[in-house]
Amino acid sequence: MLLLFAVNLVACTINRFPIISQLYKKDTSLQAVERLLKMPHSFVLSLPSAASFSKEDVNKILPAPVLSYDVENGRLFFKESGKWSYWGVYILHTSILIILAGALIGAIWGFKGQIMLAEGEKVSEAVERFTGKDFPLGFELYCEKFFVDFYDTGAPKEFRSDLVIFESGKEVLRKSIRVNEPLSYHGLTFYQSSYDAMPLITFTITSADGKKKVLSLPVSEKISWQEAGLSVGVMQFLPNIHGGQAAHVWIGDDGFPPEAIWFLKGAEKEFRRGNNIYKASITDVEQRYMTGLQVKKDPGVWVVWFGCAGMLLGFGVVFWVAHRRIWLWVGERNGRPTLILAGRTNKNNMQFERFFDEMEQKIRTMTGVKI
Amino acid sequence: MIFTSSYLLSLTTFIYLGAAVLYLIAWVFRVEKVGLLGTFATGIGFLAQTAGILLRWVESYQMGYGHAPLSNLYESLVFFSWMTILVYLFLEFRLKNRVIGVFSTPFASLAMAYASFSPNVHDEIQPLIPALKSNWLIAHVVTCFLGYSSFAIACGMGLMYLMKSKDYTTGLLSRLPSQKNLDELMHQTIFFGFLWLSVGIITGAVWANEAWGTYWSWDPKETWSLITWFVYAIALHARFVRGWMGKKIAYLSIIGFISVIFTYFGVNFLLSGLHSYGAPR
Repeated sequence: MLLLFAVNLVACTINRFPIISQLYKKDTSLQAVERLLKMPHSFVLSLPSAASFSKEDVNKILPAPVLSYDVENGRLFFKESGKWSYWGVYILHTSILIILAGALIGAIWGFKGQIMLAEGEKVSEAVERFTGKDFPLGFELYCEKFFVDFYDTGAPKEFRSDLVIFESGKEVLRKSIRVNEPLSYHGLTFYQSSYDAMPLITFTITSADGKKKVLSLPVSEKISWQEAGLSVGVMQFLPNIHGGQAAHVWIGDDGFPPEAIWFLKGAEKEFRRGNNIYKASITDVEQRYMTGLQVKKDPGVWVVWFGCAGMLLGFGVVFWVAHRRIWLWVGERNGRPTLILAGRTNKNNMQFERFFDEMEQKIRTMTGVKI
Repeated sequence: MIFTSSYLLSLTTFIYLGAAVLYLIAWVFRVEKVGLLGTFATGIGFLAQTAGILLRWVESYQMGYGHAPLSNLYESLVFFSWMTILVYLFLEFRLKNRVIGVFSTPFASLAMAYASFSPNVHDEIQPLIPALKSNWLIAHVVTCFLGYSSFAIACGMGLMYLMKSKDYTTGLLSRLPSQKNLDELMHQTIFFGFLWLSVGIITGAVWANEAWGTYWSWDPKETWSLITWFVYAIALHARFVRGWMGKKIAYLSIIGFISVIFTYFGVNFLLSGLHSYGAPR
C-alpha cells in the first residue's frame, strides 16, 4: 500500500511538473493598464502633477531591482518575490519519498531482535524477532544488575538494566539503560523492553551421616551434589502459597527412580533414596531478574529524520513563502496624471492585503494626496 | 480552597461556558459591549486555566511525582481546551471578529466539562510510568494538540461557512466574516493544524525510536493519526490542485475533525495499543 502511495505521489508530482514549470517560467510583468485595474488588489490615485511621483519615489515603494516598461501613456514598474516557492511542493513531496526510502533501507538492511538476559550473565547473540534465528552481536553484552521500582500506587516507576559491553574479554563500555535511555554500540541499539523475575533457591540437604550441602538452584536447571551422587532441580516455583514460598523439587540421577517433592520455605522434609535418608529444606529464596532487551539496527533512521526535516522545510515554503507581484504605473490617464498600484499573491491573501494597504498609505503620504 | 488546581480548572469550565453565551448574545443581539465582555471572560478563563495547569504541575512535584500535566486523559482534555482558547484568542486579536468565538469557545468548554464531570475521566494526579519519562513528552503532546485545536477551530469555521451559504447583507449571518475571508481563514487554519500534526507525528516518531526502538509501529493511534493526516492532506490538495473552495472544503474540515475526535477518543476507548495512557479506566 505504501508502495502504491509512493508511485501515486511520484506520478502526480510528475504530472503536475509542466503546470508548475509554466507557472514559474511565465513572465507576467508586462500588463495593460486596464488589466491592472482588474487585479485582486488595486487602487488609483490622481496626482497633482505628472512630476510629483519621481523615479526615486518609485524606488522607495519598490526597492530595486525593478522591471520597467513603457505602457500606454506612462511607465510601468514591476516587482515580484517568492516566485521560487512554486517549487516548495517538490521539497515536500521529495521528502516524503525520502522518508519512505529510509523505511525501506531499514527494512532491508536493518535488524530487530530480542535478548532475555539474566543478571550476572553474558550474551553474544540476539534472537531475530520474526525468524527466531540467532544474530551475532560481534561483542559480548553483560547484565550486571536489573532494578525494578514501583510507586506506592503499584504503578511501575522505573526499569533499569546496568549493562557492560565486552570486546574480546575486555570491558569497553558501561551504561545503565532505562525505558527512554537506550544504549548504542557499533550500530546496534539496546532498549529496555521487559523483564522477568527468576528466583534463585537456596536448598540445604543433610544426609543421614551428617554431611551437609548447600545448593543454589535457579528454576529449571539441574544441579548435582557429586559426593552423594545426587542431582536436584526446581521444576516450579510458587512465590505465594499458604502465605509462603514453595518449590516443586525434582530429585534423581542416583540410580533410583526420580521423584518430585513440594517444599515450603523453612519447613524441613525427609526423603529416602534407596537406603539413604536425607533431610532437606529451602533455606532462602533470592529474587533474581532477567532483563528483556529489544535490539535494533536501523541504517535508514537518519534518512527518515532527514526526510522529516525536509518535509518541515517544505511546509515552511509552501505555507509562508508567497509569490507576490506588485505593479506600479505612473502616467497620464483620461488626461490626468495618475498613479495605479496593483498587486496579487498566490497565497496568504489577508496578509498581503495588509501589506498592500501599508503601501497605499505610504504612497498617499508621499504624494500628499489625502484620502 | 480557591488555590488548588482542580478548583481552578472546574471553574474554568463555567467561565468558558459564560464566554460562549456572551459571544452568542453579542452576535444575536448585536451588542458590541457584550462581545467585549465575552473576550474579557475568555481572557479571565484562560488565565485561571493557565494558573490551574501550572498549579497542577507544582502539585505533582509536591506529591513527589514531578511531571508536566500532560500524562492522562484528564490532563490532555484540559490542555486541548487551553490550546483551543489560545488559538482562538490569537485569531480574535488578528481578525477583530468575535463571531468566531461563538463557534470556538464551546469546544473548549465542552472538553473541560467532559474532563471535570465524566465519571470515566479521573482527575487525580498520577505518577509517570517509565515509558512517559522523557523530554519528548512535552514536545509531542504540545505539537499534537496545537494541531487538534487548530482543527477544532477550522471545523467551527466550516460550520460557519455552511450556515452562511451566501453573503447576506442583513441579519444574523451578515455578521459572520465574508465567505471569501472565511474560506481563506479555514484554509490557513487547516494548513496550520496540518503543519503541527505533522510535527506532532514526527516528534512522536523520534520519541518512539528512543523508547521502543522503532519510529513507527502501526499502533492504532499512529494509524489513525496518519488517516487524519491524509484527510487534511486531501483537503489541502483539493484546493491547491483542483481549486476546491468554500463548501467542499468546509465539509472536509468537518470530516477531518471527526477523524481527529476518533484519533483522540475513539482509539482510546475502542482500540488498545501503545497509547493506552490516554484511556479512561
